[in-house]
Amino acid sequence: MIKVNVIRNDNKIDTITIKGHAMYDDYGKDIVCSSASSILITTINGILTINENYIKYTVLEDLVTIKVITDDSICLKLLENMLMLFSELSEKYPKNIKLM
Amino acid sequence: MKRMLLDIQLFAHHKGQGSTSNGRDSIGRRLGAKASDGEFVTSGSIIYRQRGTKIHPGTNVRRGNDDTLYSTVDGIVKFERLGRDKKKASVYPVE
Repeated sequence: MIKVNVIRNDNKIDTITIKGHAMYDDYGKDIVCSSASSILITTINGILTINENYIKYTVLEDLVTIKVITDDSICLKLLENMLMLFSELSEKYPKNIKLM
Repeated sequence: MKRMLLDIQLFAHHKGQGSTSNGRDSIGRRLGAKASDGEFVTSGSIIYRQRGTKIHPGTNVRRGNDDTLYSTVDGIVKFERLGRDKKKASVYPVE
């Protein structure tokens, strides 16, 4: 299961960690993993296109960490949008992705 | 920060470790002929192990409950035709 953890400061996103495997199907056929990966990568690349100093991210084996380092209202909206999409995904695939 | 490469299986199983539910097989049952044509066999000897009746029982030969053919007398084994497209195994006592 993919676990999405959000740490907020004064209700603003500070750090997001995304850990685990979707375990929906074998490698290459796991549609839940594919959607989560696409949502994440689209958001990160979108943010870096708008403001490359807004976040720092690391990708280790099955752990992605996103750390917000400046203020940017548009980029913040993109992160909130990502969390909303993860939430919708977890409603449809509760066994494979979960917002903590 | 560098842009991320689009890996749409980022959160999938580890690469190449897809589980499979196959990969099992039973041990070979060593079926087939246990006595050849023209061979002398004793009563009770197994002539042919099979599933179903590839070879039918002929003279002095009976079929076990696992379809194994065995001889009921001492004698020489003969594999013969049975009808148009079947075979049978018989044992003929030596005079």
